[in-house]
Amino acid sequence: MPEETSNLAARRAAAGDSTAVVHADTTAKWFLISSIAYFFIVGIIAVTIAAKFVWPSLLGSVQYLTYGRLRPLHVNGMLFGWLLAADMGLTFFMIPRLCGVKLWSEKLGVATAALWNVIILSAVVCLLLGINQGLEYAELPLALDVLVVIAWIMFGANIFMTVASRKYDQMYVSIWYIMGTILWTAFVYLTGNFAVLFATGTNQANLNWMYVHNAVGLIFTPVGLAIAYYFIQKSSNMPLHSHKLSMIGFWALAFVYVWTGAHHMLHGPISQWLQTIAIAFSVMLLIPVWAVVYNFFATMKGQWHQLKDNVPLKFLMSGVVFYLLTCFQGPMHSLRSVNAIVSKTDWIPGHAHMAVLGAFSFFAIAGTYYMIPRVYKTRLFSDALGNWSFWMLMMGGLGFFVTLWLGGFWQGWQWNNPAIPFIDTVVALKPVWIVRFFSGILMFVGIVLFAYNIMATILGAKDRPEAAAA
Amino acid sequence: MQQDYVYPSIYFSYFLFALLAGGALYFFVRSLKHGYLSHDSEEPKYRMMHDEEGSSHE
Repeated sequence: MPEETSNLAARRAAAGDSTAVVHADTTAKWFLISSIAYFFIVGIIAVTIAAKFVWPSLLGSVQYLTYGRLRPLHVNGMLFGWLLAADMGLTFFMIPRLCGVKLWSEKLGVATAALWNVIILSAVVCLLLGINQGLEYAELPLALDVLVVIAWIMFGANIFMTVASRKYDQMYVSIWYIMGTILWTAFVYLTGNFAVLFATGTNQANLNWMYVHNAVGLIFTPVGLAIAYYFIQKSSNMPLHSHKLSMIGFWALAFVYVWTGAHHMLHGPISQWLQTIAIAFSVMLLIPVWAVVYNFFATMKGQWHQLKDNVPLKFLMSGVVFYLLTCFQGPMHSLRSVNAIVSKTDWIPGHAHMAVLGAFSFFAIAGTYYMIPRVYKTRLFSDALGNWSFWMLMMGGLGFFVTLWLGGFWQGWQWNNPAIPFIDTVVALKPVWIVRFFSGILMFVGIVLFAYNIMATILGAKDRPEAAAA
Repeated sequence: MQQDYVYPSIYFSYFLFALLAGGALYFFVRSLKHGYLSHDSEEPKYRMMHDEEGSSHE
């Protein structure tokens, strides 16, 4: 065994605290349970949209069920109803433990969860009614944007006050990423949902794409990595390869990510210098990404056999691989020559789904599988079902990503040939969209199995006490 | 005459950019002073390995 591992017990004992803190975890439970419900409901919307690509007349002309109404509902539902809510729930689980204290205010946390549910349910109604600002990822009406800001202030205050009362001086890297997420989200959300309303034309588009890219890069990436840094160590029971390297990755992301959004406007009517800056910073993203991924792989050195029986670890390490791939694609897309082919094609949803589903949702699912049995003092309802949920999401996800990359690349080549009528390029993609639909079915089955497993774990918690666990 | 808010909104966004960059620089320097990149920076990863024994179901 490595020397570092042999000294682990002694260092753990030296670093530990004998006084156990009792965590209520009420807020974490609220967020997790509601987010899983949205994951399931919005999953139905996702499959419906995928079916509409294959059968465009599906559901007729009912205005509430048209593609234009359902697509923003799918995007906002998955991003804010499922993923961000799940991430917030996991944050409420991690932060008190990492700080060695109770959550600053469980009541404020529950109020935040309640407000978040009001926002999501209102968003569903507004988007189905067609009340939509018409901006990508910022479709929610202004009143709901204001509520999101209030909820985020409540969330941020609770987390920062907990961190401020921590027992330990040095903070684990997950705390850094979560604090970064809270501050960056405030900036990204204000720009993307308020400042953007006062701009017009190209300037508005540029601000909007800055928001869209940073919604992934400065909201879902840092909180997703916070979750990965916490649960990979916990699930594998192995210390991180290098905490110093994790901090280098954090600061590299902090200084680099914010400038990349304009790569969505390449070949568009914005300044060449702005495009070049976005390209340069996009390529520099390889530094924090590789620092993070190397750290995770090195942590797992000699421990890969654990993936066989460890459901959370399966999701976590697959998520790391997807994170590596998606963050290799991103800088490559930002090169002008590659962008000229793949931009605006089906390649992009393939790429985006690998980031949001393949990487960050996998991290959130892993955290949920780890957290729920522990906070309910029980065992997981079924490891076999957990494995099935993994394989359904993995197979469906791979089918979806790969098909859209191939189809998108093909679509891009067709678009670059002015001799091909546009409608021919639409008809040509039908086989791609059929595979996309069936891949979506597999992913949805994975979501159903995951949701059922978690709900059965919670509802049957008293029948399977933790003490009976092996 | 309609007021044009394009440039004020962009300057507002640049201001937020600058605020974030300045904040990141400030906290980066502070983290250096607190030893996050020194030889003692590995302690948090050992401490977090046993941080949840007090969890309870309510």
